[in-house]
Amino acid sequence: MSSPNKSALPTHILDEIRELPARYPQPRSAVMPALDLAQEELGHLTPEAMSEVAEALSLDPGYVEGVATFYSLFHHQPIGKHRFYVCTNLSCMLRGANEVVDHLKQAIGVERSDQVSSDGLFSFEEVECLGACEYAPMMRLDHRYFYDLNDQKVDALVAERRGKPVVTAEKPKPKRVPRKKPGG
Amino acid sequence: MADINLTIDGQKTTVPPGTLIVEAAKTIGIEIPVFCYHHKLDPVGACRLCLVDITPGPPRPQTACTTPVAEGMVVRTQSAMAVQGRADILEFELANHPLDCPVCDKGGECPLQDFTFRHGYPISRIDGPRLHFKKPIPLSDKIALDRERCVLCYRCTRYYDEVAWEQELTTDQRGVQSFITSQFDQPLKSIFSGNIIDLCPVGALTSRVWRFESRPWDMTHTASVCSKCSVGCSVTLWQRRGQLVRVTSHENDDIDEGWICDRGRFDYTDVNDPARLRTPSINGARAAWADAISAVAAGIRGRGARLGVSLPQDITNEEAFLFRRLLDGPLKGARVKMHGRTAIPAPAGDLMRIKEIDDARVIVVVASDLEDDVPIVDLRVKKAVTKRGAKLIVVHPEGVDLDRHPGTVHIRNAKGSAAAEVRKLASHEWLKSPGGPVAILFGDGRGSEDVDELASACGDLAGQVGGREMALYRATNERGALAAGVAGWDKLDGVEALLSWGPPPTAGIPTSAKFVAAWDHLPRVGHDRAVVLPATTFAERQGSYTNLEGTVQFLRPPIPVLPPLKEGWEVLCELGAALGVALDFDGVLAIQRAISLPSPDLEPSPTPVLVGPAHP
Amino acid sequence: MAELRGSHGDQAHHILTSLFGTPDLHTLSVYESKGGYTALRKALLDMAPADITNEVKTSGLRGRGGAGFATGTKWSFINRDAPGPKYVVVNADESEPGTAKDRYILENCPHMVVEGILIAAYAVGANQAWVYIRGEYDEPSRMLQAAIEEARAKGYVGPKPFGKDFPLDIRLYRGHGAYICGEETALLESLEGKRAQPRSRPPFPAVKGAWGRPTLLNNVETLATVPAIINRGGAEYAKLGTAKNPGTRLLTVSGNVRKPGVYEVEIGKTFRHVIMELAGGPPEGRVVKVFWPGGSSAPVLPGSMLDMTTDAEALAAAKSMGGSGGVIVMDDSHCIVKAAHRLLQFYAHESCGKCTPCRIGQDWAVRTYERILANEGSQVELDILQRVSDGLQNGRCLCGLGDSGGWVIDSTLRHFREEYEDHALRHECRVGTVAPPALRATSPQVGRT
Repeated sequence: MSSPNKSALPTHILDEIRELPARYPQPRSAVMPALDLAQEELGHLTPEAMSEVAEALSLDPGYVEGVATFYSLFHHQPIGKHRFYVCTNLSCMLRGANEVVDHLKQAIGVERSDQVSSDGLFSFEEVECLGACEYAPMMRLDHRYFYDLNDQKVDALVAERRGKPVVTAEKPKPKRVPRKKPGG
Repeated sequence: MADINLTIDGQKTTVPPGTLIVEAAKTIGIEIPVFCYHHKLDPVGACRLCLVDITPGPPRPQTACTTPVAEGMVVRTQSAMAVQGRADILEFELANHPLDCPVCDKGGECPLQDFTFRHGYPISRIDGPRLHFKKPIPLSDKIALDRERCVLCYRCTRYYDEVAWEQELTTDQRGVQSFITSQFDQPLKSIFSGNIIDLCPVGALTSRVWRFESRPWDMTHTASVCSKCSVGCSVTLWQRRGQLVRVTSHENDDIDEGWICDRGRFDYTDVNDPARLRTPSINGARAAWADAISAVAAGIRGRGARLGVSLPQDITNEEAFLFRRLLDGPLKGARVKMHGRTAIPAPAGDLMRIKEIDDARVIVVVASDLEDDVPIVDLRVKKAVTKRGAKLIVVHPEGVDLDRHPGTVHIRNAKGSAAAEVRKLASHEWLKSPGGPVAILFGDGRGSEDVDELASACGDLAGQVGGREMALYRATNERGALAAGVAGWDKLDGVEALLSWGPPPTAGIPTSAKFVAAWDHLPRVGHDRAVVLPATTFAERQGSYTNLEGTVQFLRPPIPVLPPLKEGWEVLCELGAALGVALDFDGVLAIQRAISLPSPDLEPSPTPVLVGPAHP
Repeated sequence: MAELRGSHGDQAHHILTSLFGTPDLHTLSVYESKGGYTALRKALLDMAPADITNEVKTSGLRGRGGAGFATGTKWSFINRDAPGPKYVVVNADESEPGTAKDRYILENCPHMVVEGILIAAYAVGANQAWVYIRGEYDEPSRMLQAAIEEARAKGYVGPKPFGKDFPLDIRLYRGHGAYICGEETALLESLEGKRAQPRSRPPFPAVKGAWGRPTLLNNVETLATVPAIINRGGAEYAKLGTAKNPGTRLLTVSGNVRKPGVYEVEIGKTFRHVIMELAGGPPEGRVVKVFWPGGSSAPVLPGSMLDMTTDAEALAAAKSMGGSGGVIVMDDSHCIVKAAHRLLQFYAHESCGKCTPCRIGQDWAVRTYERILANEGSQVELDILQRVSDGLQNGRCLCGLGDSGGWVIDSTLRHFREEYEDHALRHECRVGTVAPPALRATSPQVGRT
């Protein structure tokens, strides 16, 4: 735990959290909106932050921990400033989502979902169906959906967020290693 | 409503409406295996092991633990659908289980083993790698968690939430990755934590105090009574080779409902302390019993108020009875102080019983943090509030455990003003028309309240609102000692001689004491300048306690008193003889007969309810 | 907003989507100019609550979330006269793989949903509605919130909608990433701020739902259909579709088709019509190998069954279901074992962990698929899959999520046994090199390895 006089969440966030329970028929419903505020502030949820949320809502920290670890949109370790949530469920997989992920990994220099790019800008996660299957393959990034993904679109989104000019598709790309074929 | 008739596996049974099938089956001796279901917890239908075939009903197996009986219902536990359903569930449970039964403390008393034996597939069809977790993990210095063995029945977390009102034990993650954990891996703090060991149907939660001590089949067990406080919970004491190796709960619905606190469960290792005193000594030199008794008698005889006696909180009724004889004779005028006792006087009449709390519509708790004073009564109050809808009013200067309920009305009185606050309560909204019985529980505020005044205020309130009051005696046999006429409220300062019976006085041996006799089970500082008599512990002692509600319960020692150790009553009889009082008893039974005779010189005490030890 | 892919514009059978494509339809002024909120006015001012429920019963509308329960009947379970608060909870946690229709509605015409919610709330006597919307739906959430605020400004949401003394309010609650929240009791747990683990029933939500109060739970599409039913009359609506499955529904067609999209289809049309005509069929040179007729949880049907109709009865006869209306199409260039593996990964990831068979079974299946796909399979693995599949179905689990995983295994094994045996017994994948197995007349006998 951090030192007692330095709290993880700023006072104005904690004040906001304390006002949440009154909005619901029962105060416990406030736990997820409260965790949202905490995560929005910190990027991810630390034990300290969860404990402070618990205290602000008069709950046991263990209760908050149980809830926060159940839902996949709550993060418990640092994530990139921009996190790519790429759908790889069936509808997207059938239209090349796995290849999009392979390319994305290269483009942001991150191998696994628990890693962050060295500049802190990017991380990614393969997620389940995001409910926009007519635009497959697709993903969620910065609270928006991006559709009909391909390597060029991924490159453009990455470059935009790096603040560099968008690289056109003409740049030769290294050959991708194909996924291991189980049939061989 | 009329009772419900149903048929289970061809046998007819009749049960009250609302009974769950799993309970109805018990009435006719049919086993429906369960993991998540526990009769003291709300049913959840999570483990799916209790699948049975119900007609009329959909053509699918259904959970016996969540389905109430219905008139004319036909339940089959042995149809192909039901049998295969249960066997499949057990196979799933074993798919990731480490099968480390040979080194598991639960082995031999494990429902997972037993159910697999009786309801599982006879051959294992599981191959391939199993899911692994780091193991074992300490949940506290008392409890270890092995997540690989866990079947996620959620009994432990549900108990914590429903019964103990705490969430420091929780479930992390979801799906197959779910695991039980203490909050942020901090040690469990609850005084009620140990019950999860008894609740766990597999070897996931085990006692670290007992870990790897012995196999269940190597122990003998005895049903007895806990000696740690005045509640008197039923416990099972487990013995192996003359050592007390485990204490578990033992359901007595009138008192503890199957729960015990961690003091009762884990505070027993002193029984096995290799340093235990076995022989008397005088000034550090080993002595014969006769010499030591004579030395004690010589040191304490005829000193009047210059003699102090410190009593243990777990003095038995029989010992108190004998001690009273000494107090009436050679020790007349001695100042007596009992460990941990309240200042509450003997009750004027029959008071409320613990189980009556269940039916209360409003519960008033005054001048006591039940969690500290009478832990298992704390759980009973919680049950009445969350499971039976009672309203709760607390009068206490500080925060208490019961504040965990958002509906608790907590009146924070100034210390010493509890009686005045109670007198105001008759006009409280909830008590003007409580809609049923009111339970009024009062303590002594750990010395801060005038208990005579408080008892009378609570009695008046009870009369006004249709309630019953319960005095929260705290020391184990405080009430029994009071009935024997041993109050134990005196101060020991300035005494010239001290008989220190049990642990030394909490304030220490008075420096004024020139003569000290110690009757104790462990060596203490100063014993080399005292006459020391070895004492038995609750695991060896015979006798009875009167609990806070007046129920007399008998200790059943799992460990024999082997010479040179002597029973407490025997020592008192010998001491009596040395002091010139004829205490000719040849056993506790004879003393109990004597206690039951009307005794003109004692205050008439309320008739205690005599109950035997709970069934083994 | 991205280009519309799916039904829009006025067509004879377009009930939900006839206005879609109208510029600024998401605004209250445009929606009202096209006749929006007339149903709410009619319901509040001209109809008794029981009449509204009866109209919905007459329409024969069945829940569009997946289970297909009769909507009017569900409404009638709520005791309107019971004292104390009652709630309408809208299931906008659309997460069934291959299903995007609720998002399609919310992004195109949020007011239609608002109107449907308000009518339902009035009918069952609830003053408060909660929309539980999945956390990933940022844009739909913003649009719905904006629509509610517009309706509030107009007084449609408020203490006296259309002057009627019946306060109505709608609030949003964001989900945080858990497929299980689509299950109604898990959704309620989540709404109450808990881990979303389904409750054992009874009690049913109509008696003890959100925060212990009587609660009506309906899906977005179901409620979006209600204004049309009130406007046209239940009997008129029931003329569309089949006798037992009246009306239209939105089918999300995705996967290997040329024109994926959300199509409004009169129930009873064939999947050939949906897949081959509306969605343009598979890519050039490919054939439909298999399709999921109602989201990934609906047991698969082989390409040979394209003439199956979209109504629940026909699908049930073929051991499948209409589910969420997510039609996932896979062509013959893809491997069924890999597809099933991916879906089992999904069900394992989304299993809440409460009940044993689902928690353990889905994961066991995933690990078994992994062995098969790593060419380490044998008959043992096939047996395990079948056994796990059996153990997940038929009431073994606490909720339907368990069954869903079981159905994926069971139906793919049933229709594509040979492809499984290729992988498990012969350690090869012949996808693309042979015709889809389901189209073959007979499967060769295979011995134990």
